[in-house]
Amino acid sequence: MQNAKDTFYVALRNRLATVNPNRTMLLRGAQRPSILVEEAEAVVAMLPADTFVLRWTGLTTDTNLPLTLAKMECEMHYTTGGTAAAFGLDRGRALEEMDAEVIGLLTPRSTPKMDYATNPVTQLTTAVFWTAATFMPAATVRDRLTRYAKVAVFAYQEQGEL
Amino acid sequence: MSTAAVTYSTPTTPATRRVRAYFAPVNRAMGQPTIFDPSASGGFNLESPPSPWIDLGWIADFSRKSNSAIEALNTGSPAAPLVQMRALIGATVSFRFLTWKKISMALSAGSEHMNLLAPATGAAANGSGSKGIAAASLLAGSTASSLNMAAASLAGFHAGQMVVVDADYAGQTGYVGSGVSAAYVRSAASVNNDPDYVRRVSFNVALVAAVAATGLTLAQPLLAGAPAANMKVQAIEGFVDREGGLFFQEWSALFVMPGEQGERILYHYPRLQPTGGAQEELQALAAPLEWVTLQANFRAMPVIDANDGEQALCFRSFLPSPLTLL
Repeated sequence: MQNAKDTFYVALRNRLATVNPNRTMLLRGAQRPSILVEEAEAVVAMLPADTFVLRWTGLTTDTNLPLTLAKMECEMHYTTGGTAAAFGLDRGRALEEMDAEVIGLLTPRSTPKMDYATNPVTQLTTAVFWTAATFMPAATVRDRLTRYAKVAVFAYQEQGEL
Repeated sequence: MSTAAVTYSTPTTPATRRVRAYFAPVNRAMGQPTIFDPSASGGFNLESPPSPWIDLGWIADFSRKSNSAIEALNTGSPAAPLVQMRALIGATVSFRFLTWKKISMALSAGSEHMNLLAPATGAAANGSGSKGIAAASLLAGSTASSLNMAAASLAGFHAGQMVVVDADYAGQTGYVGSGVSAAYVRSAASVNNDPDYVRRVSFNVALVAAVAATGLTLAQPLLAGAPAANMKVQAIEGFVDREGGLFFQEWSALFVMPGEQGERILYHYPRLQPTGGAQEELQALAAPLEWVTLQANFRAMPVIDANDGEQALCFRSFLPSPLTLL
């Protein structure tokens, strides 16, 4: 399943660079699109602002197929306090902007599965595909608006994959 | 000499999770189904069925039904049964294929199943595919998984391409197709005397794994084995079936239920013919995603059991789990 998770993340990261090139962050010394995988970064007390954080949760498999189909639940968390220039009064607009970006990142809803553990990266034979986002109600915590969207990500386990 | 007594268990209710389907060709011209012998091969490795059985994977909603009728001859007053007789033998079986491939599509559709030949430039449009690019000849030494060809013929082929390998249609009537009786030709005129007709319906298809300087390497062996000298190869784009057509597919079938205690139930239908046309079943995966599976419905046709000369439609075998009382 790791190849599918890596593929999903890289696809969304690359799409974010197109959907909103200005949404970037400095992480571990590198400037890059503001999307990260929570389980692959240092543990932090609170979500970074204006950044998409992918959190992998549920996993189910269907083994009654020639290739096992894995269904992985992914939560896309994001939080914003708006801009300093507007003293945070635009936090609703900022959240709506991120909502729209989530839709853009998830469209189209499939991408070829890649193995990023190899050098050079290799393309596998199946595609990773996913559902549309299910948006959860926004929550207010102090000066920030926070939301997460749930996506079911599907991938076939190809022969030889872990 | 004596041996230690074994520890045995009492029989339990078989529990199974799923059913696996295997099909094998029927020689239609000779009227010969493929017979599965459970005494010799009943315990076969499910991943590697004995030849010529073809693994079509796990299936869903497997359901079989006996349509046999037994009637009684009543005599006396008041009438009472004197003797029973079998008035009819009949059986049907239905299930869903979970994967789409040449054979599962053909079995689901029931009639002629065609290969979409890569179209020739300017060919007239046709619902079951237009005239194909000319077939390429094979050279001697070809095998079921490698096709020797002249270098000049290789330009039209590439890795990842689907191909069909079969003989030119030469005006014959009757069943055609190598390895599998794929269609029945009533007259040369009915198929336009098309040299590609056999390749259009043939089950002798494969995926090209690589193109070498001397020919094609196939990713899967051809169903009919090593090609005959008169066979040619042609690129295909996919498959097509249709609602209509007079031909009935007929295949031998084997269904296996592996039990959780090591027991095995096998259902062998030597002759199955379809009872319906192409039909799919949609099942929710995660809205709006849906599985598209192939519905297949069959009627069992009779064979003669060589052990006693009786007609039979289906053979149900049971291989008990080890060390279980009988």
